[in-house]
Amino acid sequence: MPVSVLVVDDSPMARKMLIKALPPGWDIAISQASSGVEALAAYRAGKVDVMFLDLTMPEMDGYEVLETLRREDLNCLVIVVSADVQPKAQERVLGLGAIAFIKKPVDAQKVETVLREYGLTV
Amino acid sequence: MLNQDQKEALQEIANIGMGQAGESIARVLDHFVHLSIPRILVLPPEDMAAAMTRTVGAGTVSAVRQAFHSLMRGEAIVIFGEQRCDDLADLMGYEGGLDHVGELELLLDVSNILVGACLGGIAEQLKTDIGFSAPSLMADRVPVEAMLRAEDVSWRNALLVEVNFRLEGRSFACHLVILMPEEEIRLMAGALDRFLAAY
Repeated sequence: MPVSVLVVDDSPMARKMLIKALPPGWDIAISQASSGVEALAAYRAGKVDVMFLDLTMPEMDGYEVLETLRREDLNCLVIVVSADVQPKAQERVLGLGAIAFIKKPVDAQKVETVLREYGLTV
Repeated sequence: MLNQDQKEALQEIANIGMGQAGESIARVLDHFVHLSIPRILVLPPEDMAAAMTRTVGAGTVSAVRQAFHSLMRGEAIVIFGEQRCDDLADLMGYEGGLDHVGELELLLDVSNILVGACLGGIAEQLKTDIGFSAPSLMADRVPVEAMLRAEDVSWRNALLVEVNFRLEGRSFACHLVILMPEEEIRLMAGALDRFLAAY
């Protein structure tokens, strides 16, 4: 059964860069969302195992998505992928329940390390 | 001038540059910085003043300009709103405020940090080196619409890349605008195509 992955970023380019950095051969079904609102709609419409979430987005930013997931007790592994590299931004998203923070531009090695830590890929 | 793919690539590259600049200024001011989504526009000079007003809002502004030369050349302008220095001086720990000269020096320093980090980040993405001129004061408390007048700009079209920084819990905010003349936009388009080829 493939892992269901949702890539959330308002930038189509950023989504493309992230998808390219995912481990080749990882058995996944990828869907995409361009805002926090779309991400939550996609989550509620079906199963999302892993969400790659940008922070700076129109129509609900990444922080609000994390707050909503937590408030509604929604179960999904969120990896924040952001250009906002302030240590405080990283602290905040981890405090809101994200399992990891990956800075942009995305390093494929870092993605793989995080996924391995959580037993999500071989 | 730039196709959709090139604009999207530039927006994401600017986003990464903005993130690095935000981190640099957050470190200096010891405050969390809220970032916004970068805007990319290609504009004739006569539309520049209106674009600036949309960005900064009405009122008086101060601005610092800094030329850059890389694969392409242009100017980075950091625009500070009315409340600019009082808050900034306080944040930097200057008790009792600053005199006018001190204020201007502070604006030059902050601009230098933002421009270096943001454009450095962009150049790194485009795999090119970048150099900067010294920052210089371009506007000292002037109405925003007078800051960049069409007659001061000799270009037919300019690329405007705009990023905004707002400090959490403070009134301080500033805007970084990158302006490039038409012939340089073509060079930028080529660099963006090379960047895009990797994806």
